[in-house]
Amino acid sequence: MLRTTLATVAALALGTSAAFAHVSLQLKDAPVGSTYRAIFQVPHGCEGKPTNLVRVQIPEGVIAVKPQPKAGWTLEKIKGTYAKSYDYYGTPTGEGVKEVVWSGGNLGDDEYDEFVLRVYLTKDLKAGETLHFPVVQECPDGVAERWIEIPAEGQSDDDLELPAPGVKLLEAASGH
Amino acid sequence: MRDQLGRSCIQVFLAGILWCCLAAAAMAHASLTGVVPADGAVVSVPPKTLSLSFSEPVSPLVLRLILPDGQARTLESFVLGDRTLEISAPGDLAAGTHVLAWRVVSEDGHPVAGSTIFSIGAPSSAPQVDREAIDWPVRAELWLSRIAIYIGLFFGIGGLFAVRWLIPGGADGLPIIRAATLLGMVATTLSLGLQGLDALGAPLSNLMDRTAWRAGLDTSFGLTVMVLLAAFLLAIITSSRSLVVSRAASLAALVAGSGALALSGHASSAAPQWLMRPAVFVHGLTIAVWIGALPPLAYALRQGGDLGRQALGCFSRLIPFCVAALTLAGLLLALVQVEEFGALFSTAYGNVLLAKMALLAALFLVVVINRWVFTKPVERGEGDATRRLGRAVVVETMIVLAVFAVAATWRFTPPPRAMALAAAQPASIHIHSDKAMAEVTFTPGRAGPVEVSAIILAPDFSPFTPKEVTFVLSNPKSGIEPMRRRAALQADGSWRASDVVVPLAGQWRLRVDILISDFELVRLQDDVEIAP
Repeated sequence: MLRTTLATVAALALGTSAAFAHVSLQLKDAPVGSTYRAIFQVPHGCEGKPTNLVRVQIPEGVIAVKPQPKAGWTLEKIKGTYAKSYDYYGTPTGEGVKEVVWSGGNLGDDEYDEFVLRVYLTKDLKAGETLHFPVVQECPDGVAERWIEIPAEGQSDDDLELPAPGVKLLEAASGH
Repeated sequence: MRDQLGRSCIQVFLAGILWCCLAAAAMAHASLTGVVPADGAVVSVPPKTLSLSFSEPVSPLVLRLILPDGQARTLESFVLGDRTLEISAPGDLAAGTHVLAWRVVSEDGHPVAGSTIFSIGAPSSAPQVDREAIDWPVRAELWLSRIAIYIGLFFGIGGLFAVRWLIPGGADGLPIIRAATLLGMVATTLSLGLQGLDALGAPLSNLMDRTAWRAGLDTSFGLTVMVLLAAFLLAIITSSRSLVVSRAASLAALVAGSGALALSGHASSAAPQWLMRPAVFVHGLTIAVWIGALPPLAYALRQGGDLGRQALGCFSRLIPFCVAALTLAGLLLALVQVEEFGALFSTAYGNVLLAKMALLAALFLVVVINRWVFTKPVERGEGDATRRLGRAVVVETMIVLAVFAVAATWRFTPPPRAMALAAAQPASIHIHSDKAMAEVTFTPGRAGPVEVSAIILAPDFSPFTPKEVTFVLSNPKSGIEPMRRRAALQADGSWRASDVVVPLAGQWRLRVDILISDFELVRLQDDVEIAP
């Protein structure tokens, strides 16, 4: 009885919940052509070890990245050239932050924290799609958790072992 | 029925409550933080408890222990601590490699699964779990046809040779010889189709299928069949010809028939071929000469008189040399095939050889009695002794038939030599995708402790060095959840994991996780066959 119930629960869980697990984004959707607060929720460390470093890759089409500093963590912004020039409120923008690293911290496996970026989602991004931010958690002894898998065509996050956190892109808000 | 309905209702209700809890649960998933005995550990005494520790509270869904013989046992008795699962181990664990396959659901409702290995005493290699199903009808037919071929070759062709060259008085036995030859011919023809079915793994009902026969012809046995058929045909059509033609033809059939045996089979494929093939030939030829002479000799003895005595004299002068050559060739074949004394007992091939030797011992006993007890009085012309010798020859013939039946089972038992060779062979697979390729080698390619190494290449075959390579092995058929082993980069550029134990033979699913850069992971997956 217990087993069948648990199996039912597992089936239900599989159908509904993958989004609860892993590093995720708190705000699940955002319109393109707008500013977005990307709040990365880090629920646990790697295999029982604390997290010392969080590394976020900025996907193409996301510009004007401003990370929120955190006490006890060293912030690093790795800049580079974008694949193309994007329009940022009339300003052509061809380069900027491509990766953000919070390092030197110590987030216990039994603790929870959030890491925040303020970004601009350009109108070149396609509404209706999910935009993924690959995240790497590094722990002592070279152990890491990498939430870097992006579902291929026809796949969902459930099919992946290490899904990258994503945000659902909505149509640009009308007016301006 | 009502009971069932009630239970389903309760289940749905409970599931609903739990689902609500789930939605509110902390956003976390469990990962394994510790195992006792440790993954890959070798322990000297069977553990009383197995424990799994997780980073979050969990509930077990399925806990299974896969034993060294490939059987899976569900573990029902466990205590759930805060984040640790203490499982009572069965009390009767044998030595060898065990796999604890676990599937748990964590607070967030995400099922997490994995497998951990430990060995009692020493890592074992185990029998194949999903051994190919044996098609008994096809196998039985193959066995029967093999016996019939032996009868045709040894009693038919060998008998004709005996009648024409050794025992002129045995010509009364010609109908039997012809019948044996005909039986051999039919069985040889049929065995081609059966061989094809066996090669294709098709059922007996497909015997009328052309593909089966073509497949049979394509095996090394195809040539044997062709030459044997020619030998049988030659024997049949010349069996009633004039003495000179028939003599030449019977010799030719004898040589061709024995030669056919040397063209295929376990023994003929062993090294050194220059020695093994002639040995098979001599073994077959001498059996044919000796065994073939038995029925004609029995007929000649029944006739009695000078002719019978003449035949017996001729037989008992020639046959000792024949048997000596036969034994030598047989010993040589056995030595090469069995390799180690222990394999006589531990392998099916060795067991068949033992059974055959036991029968041969009985046969030689009869032979010796014939030779030293009956032959002299018969040559002196004592009628009573002649009848008894005639009966003894019939007994000899019966034992020989039993030997054929035993020897025919060799068709299904690979010799220890071949098994040792196959076991030491590494298993290799090539997996590729549009992002990366991996050449993965398991050394040795059999169950037990192995070393897994991989060469990682870019899709254009140029070498590149990823950040990390992990091998993930699972066996869905046996319920073994993924086991991960990190590979280390070697000086030669390959990635190697030497702490891998493949607990069971059979088909395994290998996934190679290649971390190309911090944010790019490529997973390659394919099946690999692990020998027992």
